[in-house]
Amino acid sequence: MANKEIVIEPVTRLEGHYGIHADADLTAKRYVDAHSYVTMFRGWEIILKRREPADAIWITQRICGVCPYPHALASVEAVDMVYNAPPPPMGILLRDLMHGAEQLYDAVLGCFVLEGPDYSQQIVEKSNPEWWEEAKKTKAPNSEFHGYQTIAEIMTALNPLTGSLWLRSLGLAKLGRKMAALLGGKHPHVNTLVPGGVAMTLTPSDLEQYIAMLSQHIAFSKEFIPLFDDLCDFILSMGYEDSGERPMNLLSYGAYEDPSAYTAKYEDMTNWGLKRKISPGVVVKGELITRDLVEISVGVREFVNHSYYTEWTSPELEEDPLGNPLASEHPWNKETQPEPGPPRDWKSKYSWATSPRWQHWKKNGEIHVLEAGPISRLWITALSGNGSESTGKSLRFTLPRATIVGYPVADEFTFEWKIPEKVNTIERVRARAYYHAYSAYASLSQLLQATELIKKGQTKVWNKYKKPKHGVGVGMVEAMRGALAHWVVMKKKKIHKYQIITPSGWNAGPRGPNGELGPYEEAIVGTPVTEPSPEEELLGVDVVRVVRSFDPCLACCVHLYTGDKNVRQIDII
Amino acid sequence: MTNIHVVWLQGQGCTGCTVSFTNATHPSLADLLTGFIAPAEGVILDFHQTIMLPWGEQAIQVLDEAQEGQLDPLVVVVEGAIPDESTARETGGFWCLSGEKDGEPITFSERVDRLSEKAALMVAAGTCASYGGIPHGRPNPTGAKGLLDYLGRNWKSALGIPVVCVPGCPVHGEHLAEILAHAVLAVREVLPLPELDKEHRPVHIFRHTAHENCPRAGLFADGKNSHEFGEPNCMGLLGCKGPIAHCDAPKRGFIEGVGGCTTVGSPCIGCTEPEFPDRPYSPFLAKAPASFFIVEKIHGIGGSLGAVWSRIKRRKI
Repeated sequence: MANKEIVIEPVTRLEGHYGIHADADLTAKRYVDAHSYVTMFRGWEIILKRREPADAIWITQRICGVCPYPHALASVEAVDMVYNAPPPPMGILLRDLMHGAEQLYDAVLGCFVLEGPDYSQQIVEKSNPEWWEEAKKTKAPNSEFHGYQTIAEIMTALNPLTGSLWLRSLGLAKLGRKMAALLGGKHPHVNTLVPGGVAMTLTPSDLEQYIAMLSQHIAFSKEFIPLFDDLCDFILSMGYEDSGERPMNLLSYGAYEDPSAYTAKYEDMTNWGLKRKISPGVVVKGELITRDLVEISVGVREFVNHSYYTEWTSPELEEDPLGNPLASEHPWNKETQPEPGPPRDWKSKYSWATSPRWQHWKKNGEIHVLEAGPISRLWITALSGNGSESTGKSLRFTLPRATIVGYPVADEFTFEWKIPEKVNTIERVRARAYYHAYSAYASLSQLLQATELIKKGQTKVWNKYKKPKHGVGVGMVEAMRGALAHWVVMKKKKIHKYQIITPSGWNAGPRGPNGELGPYEEAIVGTPVTEPSPEEELLGVDVVRVVRSFDPCLACCVHLYTGDKNVRQIDII
Repeated sequence: MTNIHVVWLQGQGCTGCTVSFTNATHPSLADLLTGFIAPAEGVILDFHQTIMLPWGEQAIQVLDEAQEGQLDPLVVVVEGAIPDESTARETGGFWCLSGEKDGEPITFSERVDRLSEKAALMVAAGTCASYGGIPHGRPNPTGAKGLLDYLGRNWKSALGIPVVCVPGCPVHGEHLAEILAHAVLAVREVLPLPELDKEHRPVHIFRHTAHENCPRAGLFADGKNSHEFGEPNCMGLLGCKGPIAHCDAPKRGFIEGVGGCTTVGSPCIGCTEPEFPDRPYSPFLAKAPASFFIVEKIHGIGGSLGAVWSRIKRRKI
C-alpha cells in the first residue's frame, strides 16, 4: 500500500501557530517522514534593538504568555551580567520562588489541559478503541493515592471541559500563578524582576502566604504523580514505547540558584551553574559530556537553512570574555533578517523557527541535535550526582507531610524518577508530571533558605548598580519546556543585539544545515500508526501526541534580531 | 433562549491573555462555560485553539461555519495583533497564518476580515489585540495593528456595536470575564452595553489611573518616596508610570486579590495604553514625564486647601 500524507494545521492545544506535515507508510504502519513548521512571526529582536537592556526583562516575557517567567529570569540574568548588578541573596531566592511557582502551574497545565486530553476517553475511545476496552478492565495500581479505580476512570476524568481532573487542574494551575503574582505583581508577565534583584516590598506574610499555597501543590503532587505513573505505564503496556522515540541527545541549562554562588559574572558562571539544584549539562548518546555552562553557551549554534531568514556574514565577536572562540553561528554573533517565503516548501525554507544545534567545540567539533524539556533536565540531574537527590540513575526526593482539606494524601511521600530506557512520547509526559513534584521540592528548599535570611535580618531584595557603557551578557535557565537562554550585546548603554533561543526553538526547528531532522521531526519518524482505519481517514492522532509530548510553545521560538544594517531593510519590507 | 457562540482567534499574540482569562474568578472560565445563572446560560466556546479537542481540518471547519453565518449570534474574541500581510507578500510569504481552506493557507488578517462581517460583537482581549501592543512597538517590523485601527474606529458590528477593547498585557482575567459576561447579559437585554472611553475601553473599569487606584498614592500625597526597590513608598522616582496609565490592578490585585504591580512594589509600565511599549512608557525604569506631577501637585494643593477650608467651616450636613 502506498504512503499517505497528512498535513495538520493548526495543531491545537499548544501555544502558538503550528503545523506538521507527515508521511505514513500504511503497510508498515509507521510514519516515515515529517516536517515541523511554525506559521507566525512578530520580530521581537528588531523591536528590542536600541532600547534599554533592562526593558528586555519586561518585553521578552511577552514572547510567551504560557511561560513568561523563565524569559524574565533569563533576561534579568543577562542584564545583571551586562550591568554588573549582582542581587543580594534574598533577591536571588525570591526570583527562584517565582520560578518554582510558574513551574508548578505549567506542569499542571501541560499534563491536564494541553497533553492530557490526548489520552482522554473522548479521544481514546475513537482513535484507539482497543486501548479503551482494555482500560475499562485495568485496575489503576495507585488508586489508593488518587482515588480512580480503573485506567478508564482516569481517561474519563481527563475529558476537556467536563472531566473532573481537567476541571480541578484549572484551579491548581491558577494557584501556581497566584503564588507568582504574590511576589511578582501579576502572572502572566511578572512585573518585579529588575537588574540587581527584585522590585518588591517583602514582608514575612508574603512568605507565609506562599508556603500556604505551596502546601496545596505539595499535597496535590502526591496524587498527580501516582496518577500519571498509572496512565503512562498503561499506555506503554499497549505497545506505545516506539512513539516519539529519538536518540538520547539532551540539553539542560539548570535551575534554582545557590544564593551564595550566583555573582552575575561570566567568569563565575561555570561555578554557579554547577551549584544549581537542577544541573546544566549536555547528554550525547546517553553519556553526560559536560556540565559547564560556559562550555555549553559557547557551543550553541543557530542555523537558518530551512527558515525564513537570510544568512549573515562575518562575526563581530571572535572570543567570549574568557577568550574562548566564538563561531559566527553563535548567538552573540548571529545576524539575521526575515524574508517571508511561501508555506510548505519542504525542499527550501518552510518555518519561522530556526535550527539550533550544539557543537562539541572543546573536543571533536561534532554538531548535535539536542532535545530540551523536563525529561532532559531530570535525566541530566539524575546522571550528575549533584546533591543528595541525584543517585546517578534516578532522582530521589521527599515531600513533607501536608494536611489539607480536599487532598487525600497527607503523609510524607518519597518520589523517585528513574532514567527511562527510551526518550519517547510517554516518558516526556511522565517527566513533566514528576517535575511538578520536583518543583514543589525545590521551591520549599528555597523558601526555607529565605526564612533563614529573615531570621538573620538579611531582607534586602535589591542592590544598587552603576551601569557600564558596553558589555555582553548571557542568561541561561530552564523554562518548563527546557533550556532557554538570552544573549545580549550592549553598546553605548543600549541594546546592540539581543538574541533568544527557546526550548521550543531547540525542539520544533526544521531540518538543519546537513539536512538532519529537528527533534520533533526525528521523533515523528518511526512512530507507529495506531488509528483503527488510517486507510479511510488518517487523523494523525499519533503525530499530535508526539508533538504535544514536547509541550510546544511556538510563540517562543519565533523572533529574531538583526544588525543595524538590516533594520533599514525591514523598513523597506 | 438562543445560544451565543464564541470564537476566540489568536493572531500575533503570546497566549498570555488566554492564560490570564483562566485567572478569572467571578465568573470563572468554567462558570462562563457551564452558564452560572439562567440569563448567562448557553454560551458556547466553539473555537479556541489552545484548549479545544479537535485539531487540523476539524478545528478549522468551525471557523468556516462561523464565516458562513451558521454560528449566530457570534462573539469574536481576538487575542494578539494583526500584521500587514502586504509587506510579507512582497517576498512571497506571510507573517501569520490561521489554518487553510482547500489546501490554501489563510492569513490571520483575512480570517479577521471574514469573521468581523458576521460578528455581533468583536472584543479585543489585551493590548496587542486592542492597539497592537509589543508587535507594533518601534519599528513595528510586521506592520502590526490592533483591532481598533485595523477595523477602523468607526467600525460597527452587525448589531451596531463598536469594537470593545479590554487592554492589559496580559488582559486582566477578571476584566475580560466580566466584560464577556456583561456582553452576554447585554445581548439578552439584562444589562445595558458598557459605556466606552475614547480608546474604546469600558469606562467603569478604566476610568481611573493606576496611580489613583494605588494603595501607595496616600504615601505619595504625604511626600513619601521610595529611593530603592524594596522600600514601601511611592515608586514615582523609580520609573512608575501609574499616573499616566489607566488600570485598576493596584486596587483589585491580579489573581483573586493577590498581586497588583505597584501594590507589591514594582513600577507600573503602562501596559494598558495604546502607546505601550514605546514612549512615554519606556524606558520602563525611567521617570514618567514631569508635566503630570506639576499638574497633579497643583490639583493636590487646591484639594488640600479645599479640605482644610471645609473643616474650618461650620458643619452643615
